[in-house]
Amino acid sequence: MGASNRQSELGKDGGLYIDDISLTAAAARELSSPLVLLRQLGFSVSDSKLSDRERQQLGQRLTLTSERALRMISSLSMASQYQQELALEPINPLSICQEVVHELSPLFLAHDRSIQIQTRSRIPLLVGNRHLLKKILLCFGDNALHYGSDNNPVKVTINGRGKYVRIGVRDYGPAIPANIWHVLDGRVSRRTGTAVSNRPHTSGVGLIAAKRLADLMHSSVGVKRHRDGATFYVELDVSDQMSLI
Amino acid sequence: MKKPILIIEGEPWLGDQYQRVLEAAGFSIVRTSNAYSAIDLIDDTIPRVIVLSLLLSGTNGVGLLHELQSYVDTAKIPIVVCGDLIGINSSDLEPYGVKRVIDTTSMEPTDLVTAVKAVLA
Repeated sequence: MGASNRQSELGKDGGLYIDDISLTAAAARELSSPLVLLRQLGFSVSDSKLSDRERQQLGQRLTLTSERALRMISSLSMASQYQQELALEPINPLSICQEVVHELSPLFLAHDRSIQIQTRSRIPLLVGNRHLLKKILLCFGDNALHYGSDNNPVKVTINGRGKYVRIGVRDYGPAIPANIWHVLDGRVSRRTGTAVSNRPHTSGVGLIAAKRLADLMHSSVGVKRHRDGATFYVELDVSDQMSLI
Repeated sequence: MKKPILIIEGEPWLGDQYQRVLEAAGFSIVRTSNAYSAIDLIDDTIPRVIVLSLLLSGTNGVGLLHELQSYVDTAKIPIVVCGDLIGINSSDLEPYGVKRVIDTTSMEPTDLVTAVKAVLA
């Protein structure tokens, strides 16, 4: 690793690029949270006084917590393959969103929350990498876990916007800064390990991983702030495939 | 009836764990996941001990510690802090009524019970 890779530096667009050591340090902090929980759950599951129902619930929590941590590891691992060429293909965004919601629903349900798809119009195909897009949306979904309620489920939204499609994950959490990724880059680069604004469950590593994954397929991520939450989104080009027929 | 122990933990499943071990040790528990409702619960119940995670939604745990120190009655409530203590010097928390600090990366369930009993002794 060269010296330039060991320090955070300004990129061409003025944004900070995070070196691998800083990202590793941030990831280690991020992963300590589910590991602490897994350890405590592990202590409890061996308690002989537990009822069958309690033991079953603990087993489910062990599984869901480890799956969430593994999703984070997988996304970070992919994000670190920064130079890899990726195949782009036409994708039906609705099918990807259905997969994401299907995968995250057990975790949300176990937290007495829900996640659902919200789309209005006919949705065009987009151009992207199916695997990366799913990882990005899983990052956004995991990020939103603690920021929904019975009345306000987390929503995965799909909107065609002319030449691109925006897929967002709408949550109902505390306010975040508009320049969230720049703030996160700075915090991770300084290895402060602090959470995102008022969101203790969001150290931001997952969001940084999502941004890197989006960069890999030449798409962009962003955030729209609402009075009562935020929508993290990824934008991808509409596929021209259908118009060629 | 003895006053309860108040658990303030933003991660609900970790809060369940703390509640489980403290109830098994005979303590009555009230619980919340954020600082705002914690203030209400403290006013309503005047807990014997507060078990606090520093990472909370909205106002974080440090903000709550400041708030509690602002009032004579709440400043006297002993506090046990649970958390990943990387970058935190436990002695810095003593002026805020923190009597015990437990590092969650190495804690065992009995550590929490021991800490609560110690600050009540």
